[in-house]
Formats: sequence, structure tokens, C-alpha cells
Amino acid sequence: MKKTLALLLTLVLILGLLAGCGSSGSSPAPASSETPAASEPPASPAAPETPAASEAPAASESPAAPAESETPAASESPAAPSEEPEPAGVNTVILKEADDKMINTYTLLAVNPDAPFVDADGNPVSDVAVNTAGAEALIDWFLSAEGKKLAADYGQAEYGDSLFYLLDGAPVYEGEITPATDETGTIRLSTTTSVNDSGLLGALLPVFESEYGYKVEIQSAGTGKAIAAAKYGNADLILVHSKSQEETFVADGFATVLPGFESERLSFLYNYFVLCGPADDPAGVKDCASVLDAFAAIADGKYPFISRGDGSGTHTKELSLWPEALGITAEADSFADYTDWYVSANAGMGSCLVMAEQMGAYILTDKATFLTFQANNGVM
Amino acid sequence: MQTALQKAIELILSGDRELANILLVTARTCVSSSLISLLIGVPIGIWLGTGRFRGRQALVVIFRTLMGMPPVVCGLLMYMLFSGVGPFRRFKLLFTVTIMIIAQVVLITPLVIANLETYVSSVADTVRETARGLGFGRWKTLLLLSNECIYPIFSTYLLAFARSIAEVGAVSMVGGAIAWKTNVMTTAIMLYTNRGDFTLGIALGIILIAISLLVNIAVTVMQRRLSR
Amino acid sequence: MKLASCSKTYGRRTVLRCPALDFAPGRICALAGPNGSGKSTYARLAAGVLTPDGGGRVADETGVIRYMPQKSFPFRMSVEDNIRLFGGDEQRAEELMKALGLGGLRRQRARSLSGGETARMSLARVLMQPCDLLILDEPTAAMDMESAIAAEKLVDDYRKECGCAVLLVTHDLSQARRMADEALFFYQGELWESGAAETVLYRPEKEETRRFLEFYGGR
Repeated sequence: MKKTLALLLTLVLILGLLAGCGSSGSSPAPASSETPAASEPPASPAAPETPAASEAPAASESPAAPAESETPAASESPAAPSEEPEPAGVNTVILKEADDKMINTYTLLAVNPDAPFVDADGNPVSDVAVNTAGAEALIDWFLSAEGKKLAADYGQAEYGDSLFYLLDGAPVYEGEITPATDETGTIRLSTTTSVNDSGLLGALLPVFESEYGYKVEIQSAGTGKAIAAAKYGNADLILVHSKSQEETFVADGFATVLPGFESERLSFLYNYFVLCGPADDPAGVKDCASVLDAFAAIADGKYPFISRGDGSGTHTKELSLWPEALGITAEADSFADYTDWYVSANAGMGSCLVMAEQMGAYILTDKATFLTFQANNGVM
Repeated sequence: MQTALQKAIELILSGDRELANILLVTARTCVSSSLISLLIGVPIGIWLGTGRFRGRQALVVIFRTLMGMPPVVCGLLMYMLFSGVGPFRRFKLLFTVTIMIIAQVVLITPLVIANLETYVSSVADTVRETARGLGFGRWKTLLLLSNECIYPIFSTYLLAFARSIAEVGAVSMVGGAIAWKTNVMTTAIMLYTNRGDFTLGIALGIILIAISLLVNIAVTVMQRRLSR
Repeated sequence: MKLASCSKTYGRRTVLRCPALDFAPGRICALAGPNGSGKSTYARLAAGVLTPDGGGRVADETGVIRYMPQKSFPFRMSVEDNIRLFGGDEQRAEELMKALGLGGLRRQRARSLSGGETARMSLARVLMQPCDLLILDEPTAAMDMESAIAAEKLVDDYRKECGCAVLLVTHDLSQARRMADEALFFYQGELWESGAAETVLYRPEKEETRRFLEFYGGR
């Protein structure tokens, strides 16, 4: 009997703690007034009222959170949130966008079934199973009028703004799309986190699947990992956003030219990378003439910056924007001297955004993920 | 903004189809892998615990070492083996539930073996002496010994199940966390966290802990009954 | 019942060396000696649960041996099931339980018994079937006086009924004197003295035996 009681108590405590952690973000509206402390009594004794609650009304709902001590609104300038039209709670805002340097182009590549695959020991492997027919169908659909329209419209309903734009002069497909057969029914798409996490693929692919009978299996990782998966013969096509890495992929013979197209690299969508940071912008990047100046200003003032650090397309882009004199590359020792402000997170875009929000740091992100992050209220 | 607990409850009550699928895949993976590990590990554990042969100690050391193998390493190994360019590519198992189960079996079986070996070797000598002294042969002795192992088998199963359900490194590596197919609780939590959606991650975490708790209670009750 | 000469070595340490011995049917032979003299090792070698140096067996294959180790294992089942393992005779079990005062404990789980109760159960278990040589390793060490006396009587009856030889390992000198017809005295892993109980346990020839007897309050 005693054992059961102890067990129950432990459970309640754990649940209480988790409930507390989960609600640590500040609340936008006074409507959701019941605090976790009210719904889960065991959590309350461990969590005294945070002092921030009394000063900043906007951040009043950061209650029973013994583990996480973050009180964003209180530590940053209290005036900023009221000026911004964005939903309250997210202090990170877009500071620099629509710069030519910041264009983020998404490219489709079909994996070449006869690519020079090698196994872990470097021995050539010839009979790698690649569903080229499936990859072709999906690419054809992406580049058809229907696919393009859906992609370009994505985000209008939810965010009032497109998250992706169609590239001028993108390849067009006007022919028939082959429906699935038993052998080609499963398509392995290896892609970057941004297209998946922004919900684009979740919105598009079901349409394609129900229309043509395919099943698309998405693996999402940074561009580097997405390309590696294809090189190991674990993907039929890739959708990535890092020109240099794509070109190497093509040069190594891993991509194939599909019938009706001229190039291996089929770039069709783009959006902008945006430089985000705390609303009060201590480095003054808003007033910088170009994004390169902005990055230089951050480095000069040693303002905290979160780098993805995971070989993703975003990471590759960020590396190209630092002043060359700093010599920052993907190698860890290249930024060993800057660790007081340069944070290499080695994490997904969402995690990095959360981190930036908490630390009041600058960050480079694709716009789609940022808008999702913001719409979710910097969740968390 | 809701608390994670509210969100968890809401998620469960809403009968969300994706959540149901995640739970189903998780259950399939964890139950299969822990049971298969038990089926393989228990006989080997008893054999190692009772055996007296050269190299027994070496085997025990090997299994104890494997017990500490990081899941990612196991996942990486399986990934390389079953990858499109790997030696076992013709089985086409990568990114399936089957390979997730295999990876977890590889991961968990040493734990089962080492755990059982420790218990069996601690009682084997006395049991054997007593049984032999009563004139019982090999089989009856083994039967008596197995009968002694019921309790540790249950606790070992709990351990195996816990490791299996909490494990993320191997399953995400070989399963790829593909929605509707190989996405389990832990990989889903990871995905949501990467997206920055911590609340949903924690909501799933709460469900995960609740399931673990239920399984523990069920097994403990059974263990109590059977160990009398 | 003939036992071959044997020895047992662990690493470089020889813990026991013993010449061939012959146990006469219907006689009780006490095996006495201080701690570490090799008594239990000899009992285990004789019972065949320990392999002597050079392999093989100490006892010949034909005789049926029953052996109760010093730490007899209570199996995970009831007391009655422990005694009647694999379907032992019900009536015999009843007799034994009654004689050892286990009747009230029959439904109890064997694991929950006290040390003395476990020893009584183990003794009953080993006496279930007739044999040619009964080896008991400190059977009454954990029992109280009353149970010990009952146990002694039971063993005595058992040997009379089936005419078996009994090897009784004990360091309870008074018990040895009460029960034994013959006696062996082990000292530092050697058979130091052997013969009729009256000689070895009362008027030993060797100094070490005498000291042992004196220490245990003998004459």
C-alpha cells in the first residue's frame, strides 16, 4: 500500500514538473488565465511567484516553471513588445530581409540509379535500388502547373503571406504524370528541415499521393545529411537548398537528367533567408546598408549569434556572410576564438530559434520557419 | 497558451490520427523488440550463468560491454549494413519498422543476457548442488533453475521495455522518423523539439511516461502473482 | 559403498587429499574437524557435485547417493511442493512433515521460512526416497535443540529402514557422539584419524584430534 502511494506521488510530481516546464513561455492573452499551478497542485510548492510577473504585464503568465528560469520580456527592453505588431511573446523579429544575398533557392534533384555508389569501405556498389520512375513522377508534379500553384500559395491561408515564391524561369512540366505501380509506389524523398518543418510538404504531398497513388516517405535533415542519405542509396530524390553542395553532388555523378529537362538541378522555389534578432537590435543591423555590413556589425560588437552548425543549407549560407577576415568555416577550430558570442548549436532551425529567443541572440533563418515559429507564438 | 499537460490530454481526447499511428508504431516496435530480446536473451543468459566452459568469462565481459553500447552507434551500424549501398541492401529494410525492431533487439539483448547471467550465476551453484543431491538429472535441474528465474525475467523485461521505449538514437537512425510509417514517440518528440514546438514534445513525453507507468504496473502485478 | 581416493586443488592450493574409504551399510559415520579442514569439500566430492582432480567420480556409479548440502536451496514453491519435488510420494511426505513439525507450514512459500525451518524442510526433502549412501552436511546446524533431536531420530530410523550408510558432516561433537558408529577426523585437508567412534571421538591417538575434542568440551 505504501509502495503504491509512493509511486503515485512520484508520478504526480513528474507530471506536475513537466506541466510546469511546458508552460514556461509567456502567454499572449489574459484569456488563458488558469495557471498550471491551479490545475496541478504538486507543482506549485516548488515554484514561487516570479518577480517578473509584477513588473511586466505582458509576461505575467510565466508561473510554475522551476526548471526554466527564462523571463524574456523582463530582461529585454520592456517597451519593444508594445511597438511591434507581432503577437506578443516573441521578442525575436526580422531585422534584415529581401537582400539579394539572402535568396534561398530550393532545388530538386533525382538520384542517378547508375551513380558511382560506394559502400562504407569505398568499394563500388552497382545494384543500388533507386525508384527513378517514382522520383520522376514527383518531380514532374512539383513542376506542373498544379504543384507550382499549391507551393506558391502555401502560407496565404495561415500567415497571410506566401512562404515560398516561384522562381522566374523555373523548369516547367506539361506532360502526363505516370501513376504509381506496385514497384514504383514508394518514393523516398530526402529533404531539408525547412520545407518539412514549415508544413509545405505536409500540405502538398497528400494531394499528389491521392491523385497518383504514390506514398512519399519524407526524411528531413539538414541539407548535408539529406545529400549524404542520397549518396548512401537511401533516397530517390532530394529537395535541398545549398547551391555549392548541389553542384558537388551533380559533379560526383549522383544526379540524373530526367526526360524533358535540361539540367540535373531543377530549382523552382525560393524564399528569403532573414536575419533575426532581439527587437531592440543592439547591433543596429536594421540600419546597415547590406546584410554583409550587418554580419560585420554583429561580429564587431560581439553580440550573441546562434549558428545552426549542422552543415545545413542555412548554415552554409551563414558561413558565406561573415567578413572573410574572421575566417569562420564549418570547422570547429575556425570559431574557437569567438565562442564568447558565436554559438554553434548543431540543432534544427526550430530549436535554434528558441535558443535565440531565450538568449536575445541574432540568428539567420529561412523566412518560412521563422513565420511558423512566430505564428506558434515562439512556442514553447 | 496551454500547459503541456492540458495539451497532452487534449491530444489524447481528440483521437488525433497521427498520434494514434505514432502510438501504434511505438507499441509494435517496443513490444516486439523487448519480447524478442527476451526470447533470445533468456536462454543465453541461463546458459552463460550455469555454464562452465572456457571463454565463459570472456563472453560475459563482451555482453556487459555491449550492454553499454550507445544506441546511435548501433543505429549507425545497422544503417550502414542495410543502407542502399550496404551489404544487406537487397532486403530493403531501411526505414521500416522491421529494421527498427532488429536494431533494438541488437541493442537490448545484451542487457537481457547480462542481467540474467548475473542472477543465474548467483544461484546456479546452490541450485545445482541441491538438485543433484536429490538425484535429479540435467533437465530437471534446468527446470528447477528456470523456475527460480521467473522473478528476474520479469524485472529484466521491464528494463528491456523501458530501454526500448525510451531509446531514440537507433530508431531515428534506421527508421528515419518517417511520418505514418516509422515515427515513434521518441522520434516524434525529437522532431517537434527541432521545430521548436516544445509543448507538443512535452505533451508526447507525458503520454510516454504514462504508458511506461501502465506497463510497469501491469508487469509488477503479474510478477507479484507469479513469484509466489 | 566404496569411495575412491581423491584430492581437490584450487589453483596451487590443495584443499583436500583423502584415501579410499569404505562405508558399511546401515552404519553412521561422523565426519568431524575444524573449519577449513576439508569436511564439506569431501562431502561434495563424495556426492558427485564437485569433480575431483583428474576428473571422474569418487563414488561408484551403482550406488544411489542422496546429499543435503550445507546451504540447501529452498525452491520457489510451497514447502510441501519442495518436499515432493516432481511428484514424490504423498504419504511419505506426510510422515516426514509430521516428524519434523512442518505440518502447519506446508502451504507456506519455502522462501519465507526461517533458517531452522528451511533446514527441516531440506532434511525432509532428502529423506523422501531410499538410497545407498546418505550424505548430510551440517544438517542440524541451524536447528534448535528440539528439532535437532527429532532430526537425529528421523535419520536413525531412515538408515534402519533402508539399510543405507550415512556420512554425517558435523562439528557438533555431542551429536557425533550420540549418532556415529564410526568417525573420521579431518585436519588441514588430510584424513587425520579414522576408526570406530569410541576411539576417534573419545580416545583419539593424535594430538590435534585431542585438542579439537577438548575445545568442544570433550573429556
